[in-house]
Amino acid sequence: MAQIILIEPDRVLAATYRQGLEASGHRVVMCASAQAAIYAADEIWPDVIITELQLIGHSGIEFLYEFRSYSEWQTIPVLIHSHVPPAEFSDAWELLRNELGISHYLYKPLTSFKQLLRVVNDCLVPASAPVQP
Amino acid sequence: MADRVQASVLSQQLLLSVAEQLKLPLLQIARQAEIGQLTNTTDLQQIQSTADTALRLLDNYVLGVRLALDQYQLELEPVSVSSVLYDSGQELSRLARNYGVDLELHIGGRFGTVMANRVGLQSALVSLGAALIEALPALEQPQLKLQLATHRCRYGIVAGLYTDTQQLTTDALRHGRQLMGGSRQPLMEMSHTAGAGVFVADSILKAMQLKLQVSRHHGLFGLGTVLLPNHQMQLV
Repeated sequence: MAQIILIEPDRVLAATYRQGLEASGHRVVMCASAQAAIYAADEIWPDVIITELQLIGHSGIEFLYEFRSYSEWQTIPVLIHSHVPPAEFSDAWELLRNELGISHYLYKPLTSFKQLLRVVNDCLVPASAPVQP
Repeated sequence: MADRVQASVLSQQLLLSVAEQLKLPLLQIARQAEIGQLTNTTDLQQIQSTADTALRLLDNYVLGVRLALDQYQLELEPVSVSSVLYDSGQELSRLARNYGVDLELHIGGRFGTVMANRVGLQSALVSLGAALIEALPALEQPQLKLQLATHRCRYGIVAGLYTDTQQLTTDALRHGRQLMGGSRQPLMEMSHTAGAGVFVADSILKAMQLKLQVSRHHGLFGLGTVLLPNHQMQLV
């Protein structure tokens, strides 16, 4: 069982993913905004972060820069699960992987829950290799 | 001719915005169905409501485009604002429940009738309301109350949707209009989505010679439109 912070601005989608993840044995804290996720990470010790990039106010990338700036959170696996197509980040993949420590990039509209769950479980295995978008 | 070309370009931008927006309800339905099968807890009512909201957005988009291209016209008629707000609230209630948003009706007095088109006005308010309901819980300071409200102003009667957030600004709306169709998130300070409902409302109101604008209502911020009172009916 893992502690997961799910940063998903759409409340209905967030509840749906939480239902699936909890049914798979994980504990999920839902956050709609970057700021809420920082507070949540401070309170619990997440095993995995799943984040959307399209947030209100601060983007997911801004969140990741702040999140990784704290030394204790630098090794926590982060996977992007976003409406933004990965092709838009293909040039910046090295930056995402090396600087922000993104382990996986999933394009939300074309990713089934089963695929998401498989990737989450992969993240829980130590030293999982980053998967290029 | 120039107006027609401009309307066509705007329609294409609006289509991109609506297409981007429709990914959200379709994704909700797909994942609810998938996870529902895994957990044996499919909420069919929620799926139906999500599909209805998507269909309503499409229908309102088509109305806005047909009006802009002069394929269809909405006749002005005496309309009771309070009854349009009430019906819009009824239409939005299920979506609001899904998002945990309290929808309130606030009619601050008796205003008689205004000159508008009932179908057009209700379509605009429902599109706008749906966009705000989806966005409010995602604000950094989440807002879970939305008022459908009307009040008198110097220029007429204002009808709109209001909440307790300062993100609804004239600048945010202006930037959003400029970015609509070109950006995946044109109303970045107000919504995590394409905000298509706001722009569909904008197009319908524009076709009725009305304007979507930022306004305030009893200390709340919101988006609404100014309607002209029907003076003939007042005389009667």
